[in-house]
Amino acid sequence: MKTRVFSVLCENVAGVMMRVSRCFTRRQINMDSVTVGIEPSGLARMIILFKADDQMTEFMRRIISRLEPIIDVQILEPKESIVREVSLLKTRRLTEVEMSNVIKRVQSAGGRILELKDGAIIAEVSGDHEEVEQLISSLGNDILKEVARSGQVYISKEI
Amino acid sequence: MGELTGAEALIESLKAEGAKHIFGIPGGAIIPVYDVLHRESAIRHILVRHEQAAAHAADGYARVLGRCGVCMATSGPGACNLTTGILNAYMDSSPVIAITGQVPTPALGTDAFQEADLLSIMMPITKHNFLVKSVDELAKVVRLAFKIAISGRPGPVHIDLPKDVQVSRAEVKIPPDVFHREKVKPDPDPKRIAEATSLIERAERPVILSGGGVIWSGASPELVELAELIGAPVVTSLMGKGSIPEDHPLALGMLGMHGRKAANIAVTECDLLLAIGTRFSDRSTGDVRYFAPKAKIIHIDVDPVEIEKLVKADVFIIADAKRALRALLEALKSKIKRGVESEWLKRVAQMRKDFAPQMDYDSVPIKPQRLMKELTGVLDENSIVVTEVGQCQMWAAHFYTVRKPRHFISSGGLGTMGFGFPASIGAKVAAPEQKVVDVAGDGSFLMNSQELATAVENKINVVVCILNNSYLGMVKQWQDLFYEKRRSQTYLGKTPNFVKLAEAYGAWGDQVTRPGEIASKLRDALECGKPAVLDVVIDPDEHVLPMVPAGGRLDRMITEA
Repeated sequence: MKTRVFSVLCENVAGVMMRVSRCFTRRQINMDSVTVGIEPSGLARMIILFKADDQMTEFMRRIISRLEPIIDVQILEPKESIVREVSLLKTRRLTEVEMSNVIKRVQSAGGRILELKDGAIIAEVSGDHEEVEQLISSLGNDILKEVARSGQVYISKEI
Repeated sequence: MGELTGAEALIESLKAEGAKHIFGIPGGAIIPVYDVLHRESAIRHILVRHEQAAAHAADGYARVLGRCGVCMATSGPGACNLTTGILNAYMDSSPVIAITGQVPTPALGTDAFQEADLLSIMMPITKHNFLVKSVDELAKVVRLAFKIAISGRPGPVHIDLPKDVQVSRAEVKIPPDVFHREKVKPDPDPKRIAEATSLIERAERPVILSGGGVIWSGASPELVELAELIGAPVVTSLMGKGSIPEDHPLALGMLGMHGRKAANIAVTECDLLLAIGTRFSDRSTGDVRYFAPKAKIIHIDVDPVEIEKLVKADVFIIADAKRALRALLEALKSKIKRGVESEWLKRVAQMRKDFAPQMDYDSVPIKPQRLMKELTGVLDENSIVVTEVGQCQMWAAHFYTVRKPRHFISSGGLGTMGFGFPASIGAKVAAPEQKVVDVAGDGSFLMNSQELATAVENKINVVVCILNNSYLGMVKQWQDLFYEKRRSQTYLGKTPNFVKLAEAYGAWGDQVTRPGEIASKLRDALECGKPAVLDVVIDPDEHVLPMVPAGGRLDRMITEA
């Protein structure tokens, strides 16, 4: 099933995330990615990714729009949007060979080394989901001790 | 308004909303509010005996008046006992305001005595809910709660009020109005009205399906006018029962699982279905693939969520039912001549005659159909019938003739046994001059029969008419039809003696066993000057027929047992 993207503008009040997320839970839909940020207006914007068919997507849009604290729900098309995900990667203590290998891979993926400490690296990488995913899987579970991922943020290209 | 405590601010806010009655039970976490009620004369509090009954009573009250009903309970168990009634109101789009005490804010989340996470518990069963954290916001929250509950598609709203907020003081000003984001514009899109008009003009066999939304928007006059104008028979959902007077020649009665045969056949044969204020519940449609299979469908609803949820419409109109109907009338008046004598209406009249329900039974034990006939005869057009849930409910829905909107109150979506009696108490409080009868089953009535104490103590003279078959009748019916008559755990026996039970509470009680006595004993019950229980012993083997099995086709009804 196709991945869908909702951009949900809502009041920044306690419980609003639960109100939205339980709409998904009740219909047995997993939210693959959720990000929330506050806009300059003080309103919050959630970007939610999930998988559903066209009919369910429209139904979910209406269900969520009906909630009191929700102002607007837009369906974003990945092709007409800019997508970014940020990840922070922490490695285990590395040998010198491993370290130069990791640094090379992070840099060629457009990432940055943020911290070098006790033979371990903390790096940052951003890009679309696939770019980030690619670096993480190429480094692998053996090298990476901890990964913190932002989830995907979308913004429509429409001005 | 000056400096008030939270409890005072709450009561002043309720008065500002025009609330005159509260159904509830006090408890530790809401004593400060009850302390204010003690000296308040503008609001009558009706002390019930179980919080579930408070919610149902507020629901019944709201449905009769078309305004918000208010129920109140303490924290934890009190609030949790409200939940069935709140969900019932949510499923049937009834504007109930539920107010509960809560442990003081510093104790929230600590498993304090009688603490429950009501913000979470109420979230999926209300239209919206609030946890009030300071007196400053209380007046605004109450105003908003009433506005949310009644606007668009009505529904319950819960306000959770921690005890420290009830006792703390602040300068309180009741806002004349509060901002509430309008989710749906009530006026229909003229383009959609034009599309619908052209479908209606071209239709040869139109049927109108009228739901609870028609009643909530007060659109019954427009519904009847449109039906007469376009020559369409009207079928109703359970919630729409009463939206057209059922003695009107175009009224075909309820459709669906236990609907009238003429209604189900008409929907199956029609070439245009105009569905208004209805959500196409599975009990109404049966198998949706065979629902109105030959028809173009126009769906009018004020809640966009209901559009294309279950049945795809050829034209949908998101609008208030009354305004949409007015727009359709306006557009069609110049185009269609009133009182069209179509082949279709002849067919409909024939079906009405051929499939008229059989009610003239003289047998003993009493047939419930006969009881419904007698009830229709004894009650006047202003009487209110409330029902419990199960066979008794479906017999009432199928056979009792309702003549006005808001005069038939039933638990539709949730099917809550125990709803009828407390809801009838609420109905009687809302309309004290009107006769109120709860059509009950022996099983359902026992789920809230303790409210006899409420009725007697408060002189709320409703009549409970028990269709006593000593069974959980609807389950028994399914067991008979689909489980080879294995009546597992559905026989209730002869307990209790309902006449003695009524008398123990100080109510009037009597039993009927013969059909010839029904009318006179019903009159006795209605005129006894007390809450009354009439125990009508009915045929324990009678089924509600016709019946469309769950998920079956409307045109394939079981007609005999």
